Amino acid sequence: MPSYRLQTIRPMAFSVALHPAFLLVVLSLKTSRSEVLGEPFQLTPEILTVSTESKLQQVNLQWTVPNLTHQELKMAFQIEISRINTSNIVWVENYSTTVKWNQLLHWNWKSEIPLECVTHFIRIRAMVDDAKYLPQNSWSNWSSWKEVSVQVSVAPNTLLIFPDNKLLEEGSNVTICLLYGQYLYNVSCMLQKEPIHGEQLDSHVSLIKLNNVVFHSVSGTNIHCKAMNATKMIFGTVLFVSKVLEEPKNFSCETQDFKTLKCSWEPGVDTALVWSQQDSQSYTLYESFSGRRELCDHRNSHNWQITDDSQETYNFTLTTENNLRKRSVNLIFNLTHRVHQKAPHDVTLENIDARKANMTWKVLSRGNNYILLCQIELQHEREVIHEHNVSVHMSASYLFSDLEPDTKYKARVRCADANHFWKWSDWAQKEFCTPEAAPSQALDVWRQVRSENGSYVVTLFWKPLLKSQANGKIVSYNIVVENQDRLSESEHYSVPAPALGTQLSLDPCSYKIHITANNSVGVSPESVMVLSNDSGHEEVHEKRIKGTKDGFHISWEPTSGDALGYVVDWCVHSRDQHCDLQWKNLGPNTTSTNITSGAFKPGVRYNFRIFEKSMQQKAQLLEKQTGYTQELAPLENPEVTINNFTSNSFILSWPSYDSDFQSAFIEGYHVYLKSKEMQCHPKGKRMTLPDYWVLCEYEIKDPEQKAFTVENLRPESHYEFLVTPYTSAGQGPNETFTKVMTPDENSNMLLKIILPMTLCVLLIIIACYWKSQWVKEKCYPDIPNPYKSSILSLIKSKKNAHLIMNVKDCIPDVLEVINKVEGPKTQCIVSGNPHNEDVSMKPPSSVPTEDGSSGSVPFFFFENFTYDQSAFDSGSHGLIPGPLKDTPCQLGLLTPPEKLLNVLEKDYMKSLAESPTEETSLIYVSQLASPMGGDKDSLATNPPMPGHCSEYKMQMAVPGRLPSLALSENNSLTSEILLGQGEQ
Amino acid sequence: MRAQFPQRTLLSLALSLLFLSMARATRGCSSSSPQLLSQLQSQANITGDTRLLLEPYILLQELNTPTLRAACREYPVTFPSEDTLRALSKPHFLSTVYTTLGRIQHQLDALRQQSPKTKVFPLLERAKWNVQGIRNNIYCMAHLLNHPLETPNPTEAGSGASPSTTTTPSIFQTKIDNCRFLWGYHSFMGSVGRVFREWKDGPSRSRRHSPRHSLLRAWRKGASRIRPSRSSQSPMSRVQVPW
Repeated sequence: MPSYRLQTIRPMAFSVALHPAFLLVVLSLKTSRSEVLGEPFQLTPEILTVSTESKLQQVNLQWTVPNLTHQELKMAFQIEISRINTSNIVWVENYSTTVKWNQLLHWNWKSEIPLECVTHFIRIRAMVDDAKYLPQNSWSNWSSWKEVSVQVSVAPNTLLIFPDNKLLEEGSNVTICLLYGQYLYNVSCMLQKEPIHGEQLDSHVSLIKLNNVVFHSVSGTNIHCKAMNATKMIFGTVLFVSKVLEEPKNFSCETQDFKTLKCSWEPGVDTALVWSQQDSQSYTLYESFSGRRELCDHRNSHNWQITDDSQETYNFTLTTENNLRKRSVNLIFNLTHRVHQKAPHDVTLENIDARKANMTWKVLSRGNNYILLCQIELQHEREVIHEHNVSVHMSASYLFSDLEPDTKYKARVRCADANHFWKWSDWAQKEFCTPEAAPSQALDVWRQVRSENGSYVVTLFWKPLLKSQANGKIVSYNIVVENQDRLSESEHYSVPAPALGTQLSLDPCSYKIHITANNSVGVSPESVMVLSNDSGHEEVHEKRIKGTKDGFHISWEPTSGDALGYVVDWCVHSRDQHCDLQWKNLGPNTTSTNITSGAFKPGVRYNFRIFEKSMQQKAQLLEKQTGYTQELAPLENPEVTINNFTSNSFILSWPSYDSDFQSAFIEGYHVYLKSKEMQCHPKGKRMTLPDYWVLCEYEIKDPEQKAFTVENLRPESHYEFLVTPYTSAGQGPNETFTKVMTPDENSNMLLKIILPMTLCVLLIIIACYWKSQWVKEKCYPDIPNPYKSSILSLIKSKKNAHLIMNVKDCIPDVLEVINKVEGPKTQCIVSGNPHNEDVSMKPPSSVPTEDGSSGSVPFFFFENFTYDQSAFDSGSHGLIPGPLKDTPCQLGLLTPPEKLLNVLEKDYMKSLAESPTEETSLIYVSQLASPMGGDKDSLATNPPMPGHCSEYKMQMAVPGRLPSLALSENNSLTSEILLGQGEQ
Repeated sequence: MRAQFPQRTLLSLALSLLFLSMARATRGCSSSSPQLLSQLQSQANITGDTRLLLEPYILLQELNTPTLRAACREYPVTFPSEDTLRALSKPHFLSTVYTTLGRIQHQLDALRQQSPKTKVFPLLERAKWNVQGIRNNIYCMAHLLNHPLETPNPTEAGSGASPSTTTTPSIFQTKIDNCRFLWGYHSFMGSVGRVFREWKDGPSRSRRHSPRHSLLRAWRKGASRIRPSRSSQSPMSRVQVPW
């Protein structure tokens, strides 16, 4: 909205002032004539100049009213402004003023469009509007149109943007005008990063209207345009959008010394812009009574010097101003009502004793009649514990009493004018600490007594004194133990702080224990406890109590009327070894109390003991009470064992729980038995489950019963059971059932037979093992004694005492070695053949087999001098006898006993039986331990072909007295000795 | 924005080192040519970083739009191009840089006066001293190479730096001009740093030989026509220029 400003300029031209008096007279006469006649007259204004102020987009009009005959005449003017052409009227304004003769009249108008962009035209007409004269009914003629334009030349390919560097306030509107040079088209513009669009006014002018512009930056808001044709030059302008100037807030002034007034206010947002477009807003103080105006040196305060002591009232106007706006606030006050007293000074504090301190201070006074109100505060740990107001003239003091010893305090004082309170002064403060005093309170003590190895173990506990009771830092605790039975004996102990207990080991006597606390100043009153002989051995009934979420209500029956008081104690951690004993002292007339603690937990059993303290400070256990704040269902089931397991019954038994670990009082047990097609006991509840399963539930209401007999079971049947305790809160967890299977009915009987038999067999085996050597000797010695053999009895029965051949008497005729001989010892064996190779190379010319054929079996033949030559001579043997030679070595053979027995028992016996002469020679046979193993028949019929270094099991009848020869078991030499006609 | 803090820290560190170097330079010339060359290269590289001045200026003057950023680079204030610098003999190079830095110093000072009470004011202050430090080192370098710098003729060196002050320029145009000047300043210092690096690489690396005197003359006479270019890829022949 364009605004205007009218300036009436008094005639200044000297020539006008010196107008001839003659003309005045003529004019007066002329006017008088018109008045008399009452004729309407028209005065057409004449435009003198039309100028512009481009920066302000302002048109200034200057005109005069020629032919004005009056000295003063009230007139109305109408001004029209058209744009682009005269017919396009954009503004019409009426303007009334008193026109003096020959006066230059001024009027201005601000265009919303920059004047560089379009041509404006202006004209004016007038009308007499003075009551003193006959009113003019019509306007005068219009003046001629005057063209208003700002000439700018736009070079080809360039763009001019108006206004340039425009300063405006946030929230206002602005019209941007673009002037295109020749050859420039297709121009796009942006406001910072946002595109903006305008309207084309004519072929080379377009307008962009921006409403409600916002503040972007102190360096302005850039509008830049770019043409898309030949040139890529960038054009732009900067809008300097200022924040709106704010009115100063909380404007006030005060004095401390009556020499300076300190005025302060909240300045609001800084409206400064860079590029010298706008400085920060200025602040000016104007005092109307004195007429002084001062530019403020700070944007939020100013010190105003009081120059006139007699001035009491001040009327200040604070004005803030920037390039766009001005704002003011006013303040009027009496100086004496705006006195901000200086803080008190020379504050001192003097400790009188541990509980009293005296504070003194001074104030700045303005005369004898000037009274100040002072406020005193005493603080402890940032908390005001004492406050007091006093009236002060010049100086004052104040006594703080009821202070705590050994305590830090902060005392502070502030003052204000007592007559016209304006504002408290700043605080003046001082910190001080009171000295220590002896502890004022006896310790709250308690004890726990237990017997150990015939003596008392007394654990003393005490609670720390409160700070208000300790009156200083507790250094140690003194304990004096007096033996009541032997009064002369007393023990002194000192426990350094901060310990809160100690343990004493005492003989089983009566004791009086005195406990005190010490600080650097003195000793506390003593606490006394008496321990009697039976302390710790009291047996009382335990009562169950029910707690609540908050704790327990404990009540008891007093036993005597002269109790000094009662003590209730309990452990915070009943499940742990660390008890954390708590106790509560109660008065003599108390018979109940509430025990509350944040440490109480649901499902934890708490045991309370109530003691009565006698006048002699002896504590007697009155009651034990136990309970839960909240009972919970058992957390676990007992471990059940099965006893007396038979085919139709068994007994379930389980151990008892530790009471401290019970989550509630156990009220009983539920026993569940599950099986297929089962009959429940009448006392049990039967429930049918899927798949023909039946569940029997038995309830044991006695929590002390820890066994249950399950009867009437079927043999060889599957059963499952579960034992779970139950409390008031429910039963234990539903765990997996334990499976059992009843045994067969006969299983017991079998067990009775099999077990002893097994034991007997075991005993025999053990005995045999124990006497194995003896049995071996008796039954199957390594070298059987033919004289001890049972054969002997047979022989004897046949009356032939010579049947048993003496080895001495035997002369072997042939020794047959069946293998390649290894080692030097073979040299001893092979008679007349020192080299094995020689022996092995000697082919067996003819080895008769059972079928009489001679195979290529690598048999070696030795002369056996122990063999009876007659046996060969009998011709019953197919072996070719070799030459008999003396052998330097005797043959020693190791014989496995079982083979020997075989020979004895079978072969030999057979040969005996088949022997027609009854004097059959002994035949010693070596059996080849071949893979064909053990098949004697096959061995006999098809003698195996010994492999290289094959082992042989040897059999040989050796006389008992024949010494063991050099051959050993591990010797690879093996032999087969064929004596006489044998089967093999 | 997240990376700004460490970047700023690094920049601060670098600037501190720069100050130390400058302080040393102002006390007296180093007798070690390689050390001085290394120092000069570091100084040029550091001051070639646009984060030192250009970016803060762009942000302060609300020029952070693609169009305006591009405008800053389209017609930067004329400085000798990298090709031109590389083509110069060492004494001429030092003299050219010294002279250009003098103009830059003057321009920075003018820019500083345009931006009182802004965030870039201390940066401009610091930059002015940085440039002074580099000039001192160049002076010393020329002294070490037995080619003392001639005092430049102001009429010769006055090409295309400061905008005309005969008419009150549009603030918008001044912003763009300043932005272009700062862009040109950083680019020029980067080019100087790269030339110094070639010096450090030794005489084996031949410098591009072009009609250097004519180029220098062209720059002195009509520097505004010489477009700075960071490209050094043009297949011009390189020859070693003897001292």
